[in-house]
Amino acid sequence: MSKKQNQNKVQKEPQCEIEDDIVTRMIILSPSANISQSELVQKLHMLELPLTIKSTCYGAMVHGSKEAVDQAIEKSRKWDPFHIFTKDRGFPPGDPRRCRGHRGAAREGYHQLEKEFNLLCYVGEALKKPEKVKIEKPEKVSVDEFKKIVNENSSKIIDEGEK
Amino acid sequence: MKVAIFPPNSLILADLIERRGHEPLAIMKEIRKKVKDAEIDSPPMNITEEDPIKGLKYAAIEVPSGVRGRMSIFGPLIDEAEAAIIMDEAPFGFGCIGCARTNELSVYYLRKRGIPTLELTYPTTREETMELVNKINTFLDQLEEKNG
Repeated sequence: MSKKQNQNKVQKEPQCEIEDDIVTRMIILSPSANISQSELVQKLHMLELPLTIKSTCYGAMVHGSKEAVDQAIEKSRKWDPFHIFTKDRGFPPGDPRRCRGHRGAAREGYHQLEKEFNLLCYVGEALKKPEKVKIEKPEKVSVDEFKKIVNENSSKIIDEGEK
Repeated sequence: MKVAIFPPNSLILADLIERRGHEPLAIMKEIRKKVKDAEIDSPPMNITEEDPIKGLKYAAIEVPSGVRGRMSIFGPLIDEAEAAIIMDEAPFGFGCIGCARTNELSVYYLRKRGIPTLELTYPTTREETMELVNKINTFLDQLEEKNG
């Protein structure tokens, strides 16, 4: 290896550590999932990847190097492709600044997750039976049409005011 | 392609985009950068003095610093976006007026960018959810076709 190549290698290594190397992902099971939360955690452990795995009420949380996490996500999706959903998480598992146990209430972002969780079975259904739909672009209202609407509504308001 | 999502922490949107091989620009990635910063005790509540300055690119000096601070996180994601999916009337919409104004400003900037944008309403029923998923998948496939 030439001197220049060696220098490049030395420069790149620390950058990788600082950047998005350590990531956390949430694995969320849909209400109609064919796999239970404990099964999911067991299977994740069986992958023998260098990860921190946390069992949660919605599924599991995996924390580790991006490479290992991506591998775990790819494999876990295959276990139940239409009912396993994943998303990134900013905070590591059990972080005292966000953990429910320390805060005494649901963490931020949980309420939206709870709402979206209710729709996951329908999302899975739509993924199973995909349909082609036409996306219609919203069109601008023409000036004449706008004037017509304004005149109609303003006359209504005047009539109501007189009554 | 990098696809901006709104709500920026939506599970459904982030997951569907990833399934189609695109990259969702979710807020969690930006928050992770703040979490890793040893100088910040309680992110994202504590912002550094640099954040409102960064936010000046997106909101004027008269705008409350809270909005500018939030825009310093949302703004770079909007700049990076090559496409966007906006879901209106999402149930997450509670919070202070700073959050509400930041949301309005973020949607405004996404529309102003002129990138391919899909605007939807948050579904409440089975039919609406299925239509939403099909629309998102069709939109993402069209993006692929356009870019080859």
